[in-house]
Amino acid sequence: MGSAFLTVDDITQVFPLTDGGRYVALKDIDLEIAEGEFIALIGHSGCGKSTLLNLMAGLTQASSGGILMNGRQITDPGPDRMVVFQNYSLLPWQTVRQNIALAVNNVMRQASEAERRERVEQNIQRVGLTHAAEKLPAELSGGMKQRVAIARALAIEPKLLLLDEPFGALDALTRGNLQQQLMQICQQAGVTTVMVTHDVDEALLLSDRVVCLTNGPEAGIGQILKVNLPRPRQRLEVMEHPDYYRLRSELIGFLQQQRRLKQRTARATTVATTAQPQAPQFPKRLRVGYLPGLDIAPLAVALERGFFSEAQLSVLPVSFHRWQQLEEKLRAGELDLAITSATTPLALNLGLDGQPAWSAITPMTVTRNGNALCLARRFQDLDVRDLNSLAERVKGREWPLRLAVGQKGSMQELLVRHWLGQGGIHPDRDVNFQILSPMAMQAALLAGEIDGFIAGRYRVAKAVEAGLGYVIATDLDVWSGHPEKVLTCHAAWAENHGETLLGFCAALMRAAQICDDGGEHNRLVGLLSQAQWLGSGAALALERQFNLGNGEVSSKRMPLNRYHSDRAHVANVAEGSWILTQFSRWGWSVFPSNRVELLSSVYRNDLCNQALERAGFTALRPDRHPFALADGRHFDQDDPLAYLSELPFGVTSAVEPVTLPTPAATSPVAAR
Amino acid sequence: MTALTPESRSRPPAKLRRLQPALRSSMPYLICIGGFLIAWQIVSMVLGVARLPGPINVIVETWDPYISQPFFDDGGTSKGLGWQILISLQRVTMGYGLAAVVGIAIGGVLGLNRFIGKGLDPVIQVLRTVPPLAWFPISLMVFQDANTSAIFVIFITAIWPIIINTAVGIREIPQDYTNVARVLRLRKGAYIRNIVIPATVPYVFTGLRISVGLAWLAIVAAEMLKADGGIGYFIWDAYNAGGDSSSSQIILAILYVGVVGLALDRLVAYGGKLVAKGGN
Repeated sequence: MGSAFLTVDDITQVFPLTDGGRYVALKDIDLEIAEGEFIALIGHSGCGKSTLLNLMAGLTQASSGGILMNGRQITDPGPDRMVVFQNYSLLPWQTVRQNIALAVNNVMRQASEAERRERVEQNIQRVGLTHAAEKLPAELSGGMKQRVAIARALAIEPKLLLLDEPFGALDALTRGNLQQQLMQICQQAGVTTVMVTHDVDEALLLSDRVVCLTNGPEAGIGQILKVNLPRPRQRLEVMEHPDYYRLRSELIGFLQQQRRLKQRTARATTVATTAQPQAPQFPKRLRVGYLPGLDIAPLAVALERGFFSEAQLSVLPVSFHRWQQLEEKLRAGELDLAITSATTPLALNLGLDGQPAWSAITPMTVTRNGNALCLARRFQDLDVRDLNSLAERVKGREWPLRLAVGQKGSMQELLVRHWLGQGGIHPDRDVNFQILSPMAMQAALLAGEIDGFIAGRYRVAKAVEAGLGYVIATDLDVWSGHPEKVLTCHAAWAENHGETLLGFCAALMRAAQICDDGGEHNRLVGLLSQAQWLGSGAALALERQFNLGNGEVSSKRMPLNRYHSDRAHVANVAEGSWILTQFSRWGWSVFPSNRVELLSSVYRNDLCNQALERAGFTALRPDRHPFALADGRHFDQDDPLAYLSELPFGVTSAVEPVTLPTPAATSPVAAR
Repeated sequence: MTALTPESRSRPPAKLRRLQPALRSSMPYLICIGGFLIAWQIVSMVLGVARLPGPINVIVETWDPYISQPFFDDGGTSKGLGWQILISLQRVTMGYGLAAVVGIAIGGVLGLNRFIGKGLDPVIQVLRTVPPLAWFPISLMVFQDANTSAIFVIFITAIWPIIINTAVGIREIPQDYTNVARVLRLRKGAYIRNIVIPATVPYVFTGLRISVGLAWLAIVAAEMLKADGGIGYFIWDAYNAGGDSSSSQIILAILYVGVVGLALDRLVAYGGKLVAKGGN
C-alpha cells in the first residue's frame, strides 16, 4: 500500500552466535504505519521488540527485508527518526540545556542562532524543566531525565519518534504523569510514534494500535489490536470505557498464551531430546489416509514418480469411503498422516466431533479450490438459476432443502453454509444437512433422498454427466483460493518424526507442482484413471471445460484444484482464524479467546517452509493483510469478532479460553 | 588519656568532649606511626647507629643544613634538598608532559582507528613491560647527554599507561552515546568534542595517574646512574661520600622522595576530578 508512512516489509533479523550458530530474532515481520499513528509494540522480554525499533531507527540493518519511510528505504540512522533510548542516553557532562542544544544545533544548521536558542528553551519549557535547565543529568531524578530525553527528541521535530520502554524504570506516579504528558505532546506535534513497552495499560492508554509480538526466536506479529478509545484520553476516563477491559483482557490473554507456549516448547524440546534414541527416525511404512478425489493427485504423482523412495520413505496409501472412519483410524494411531479437510486439524483440537480433543497439526495445505454445489435437475426446471432464485424457492417451501455433505464441519460445509447465508437462507432452519459418503451422493440424488450436495468437482462432474443435476455454485462464488485439503497428523508424531514428515511434505510439494503443470495433463489423467485412484471417471473430472450442466456450456475456463501455484502450500493462520469464526458462527464451539495460541500450535508454517526449502522451492509466508471472500467482506485475522458480527446469522457466541490438548500426553501414536 | 571511671565517662568535661572526635580519628595514625618509629629505633639500636641510624639520629644529624635550610646553595652540586627536588621535578615535568601530550595523541589514534589499534597492540604490550632503566644506556647512546637521557627515560616509561588507557577509553565509549551521535548525525568534529573527549577523560586521567608514579620512580633511578643534581643524584652522592651522616642523609632523602611522589599522585587525581565534571 502506497499510503503507508512507514512500511516494514518482510523483515528477518538474524544474529550470529559466538558458537558459530545463528539466532533468528525476528522472522517475516510485515507492518504498515500511517502518518500520525501511535503504535505500541508489546511482547515478552527477548521477543525482539527493541530489535525491531533499532531497525526502524536504522541503527541496525535487517538480514533480509527492508523498511520504507515515505517510500524511501531506511539504511542508516538519522534525525528524522529520533530515538528515546531505554536508559535516556543523556550526555552526563552536559547540562539539560546543552544536551538539547547539541541536538538542535546539529540538526537545524540552517536556522539562525536565535531561532535555535528559542527552540531549545521552548522544548525545555514544554517538559516543564526550566528550573533545571542548568543541571547535569546526575542531579536529576529518573523521571526528569526521561523528560529531557523526550524534549531532546521532540526539539528536532522528527517525523518518527521511537521510544524504547521509555517509562520502564520509573515509579508508578511519575510514570502516570509522564504518560499523560507524552500523549499530549505527541498529539500536539502530530508525530508518528512507535513505543516499545511491556505494560498493557500503558499500551492501551497511549496507542492507536497495539502490535503483539510472539516469543523469540523467530518472533513474528501474533496479533494487532486496534484501540478505538476516544481521544483526548484521560487515564481514568479510559479505564471506565466499556471497551477498555475487553481490549485489556485480550492483550493479557495474548501475553499469557505466549508464556504458555514458551513453557510448552521448552517442555517439548526436552521430551523430544530424551525420547529421540528410542523413536524410530524412519518408520517402516508411512500409512497415509485419504478419500478418493482429485485432491489426492499429488500423492498419486509422488508415488508414481518415486519421490517418496528418493527420500527413503515407504508410503502406503490407505483409502477410505467415509471421513469418520479416516478420523477414527487417525485418532487410534493406525494412520501416520492423513489428507483431510482443511477444517479437520482445528476440529480435532477442539473436539468438535464429540470426542476428546486431539492435538493435531498441519504442516501444509495440499489443495485449494475444487468444490461445486450440485442441485437436482428438477430445480433447474423450477428456474432456480442462482442464489436469489434458490432463496425464493427455499423460503417458500414447506420442507427444508436437503443437502448432503461429506463430513460434518468440513470446509465444504462451511463454504455452502456461508454461501447460503449470503442469500438470506438460514442453514440450520431452511436447510437440512445430511452426512453422506461422497461415493453415495450420486445415488442419493438419483433416489431423490437429497436435493443436492457439495463435493469435489470430480463427483459433481459425474452427476452432471449422468444428467442428475447441475452446478448452481462453485467455490469460486464463495471463496476463491480457499484451503480445501490439508495434511494432518498428531503433534507428538510430528515431533518424533520430524525428518520423515519433512521428507513426505517435500515429496508431496514436488508432485503438486507437476499436478499444476498443463504439460503433464495427459499423463496425470492416465495416472488417476488407474483403478487404485479414481478409475475411468478421472478423464471426465479433469476436463478443463467444466460442464456446469445448466444448459450454457461454461465459457470461462474453470481452474481445477490448485495444487502448487500462487502460494498454495501455505499453512495459513489467517485461514484458520476464519474457520474458527465459522465454528463459532454456527454454534459448534465457543470462539477461543486464546486463538493465537491454538492457531500457532496447529498451523505449522515453519514446517511448510522447511519442506519447501527441501523440495527446492522458496519459502512462503502467510500474508497479514485482510483478505476478501467472494461476498466482498474482508476478513482481518486481527479482528475476527468484528467480521463475525457483520455476517448474516453471525452469532457473537461466547468468547472463552479453550484448553488445548497437550501434545505429549496420551498420544496413541507416540506410544506405538 | 587517663583511665576513665564510669562516672567521668558518662559526663566528661566540656573541653575533653570537644577534643574527643579529633583525637579518636587520629588515634590509628598516632599509634601505628609511633609503633613504626619505635620499632625502627629498636632495630637501629640492635644493629648499631653506624649501620642504621634511628629516627632521632636522622633528625639530629641532618637538621643543619638539610632540614633547616632546604634552599641553601654552595655552588656546584652542593645544594639544599629543596633545590635537588626541584631539579628532579623539572626533569619529570618535561618528560611526563611530553609523554602526556604524545601519549594522548597516539592513544586517540589507536582508539579511533581499529585497524591501527589492532596492529600496534602487540608492540605496545611488549614495550610497556620494559623496566625504565633498561632504556637508559640506549638513550645515552642516542642523545649523548645525561640530562636529555634522563628526560627520555621518564618519557618512555610514562607514555604506555597513557596510550593504553586513552585507547581503551575511546573504545569503551558507551553504545548509548555513540547511538545518540549516529541518530543526530554528529559530524566528526562535534562527535570528538562532545562525546569522545568527555567520555574518555576519566580513562585518560587514570593513565596519567599511573604514569606520574612511574615517572617519579624512573627519575630517581636515572639520576642515581648519571646526572648532575637532583634527588637521585643526592642519594647516590651521599652514599659515595661515606661520611658520618651519610646514612641519615639518605634516609631523609628517601622520605622526601616518598612525600613528593604522593603529592604528585594526588595532584593528578585532583586535576582529573576537576576536568571530569558530571562524570559517569
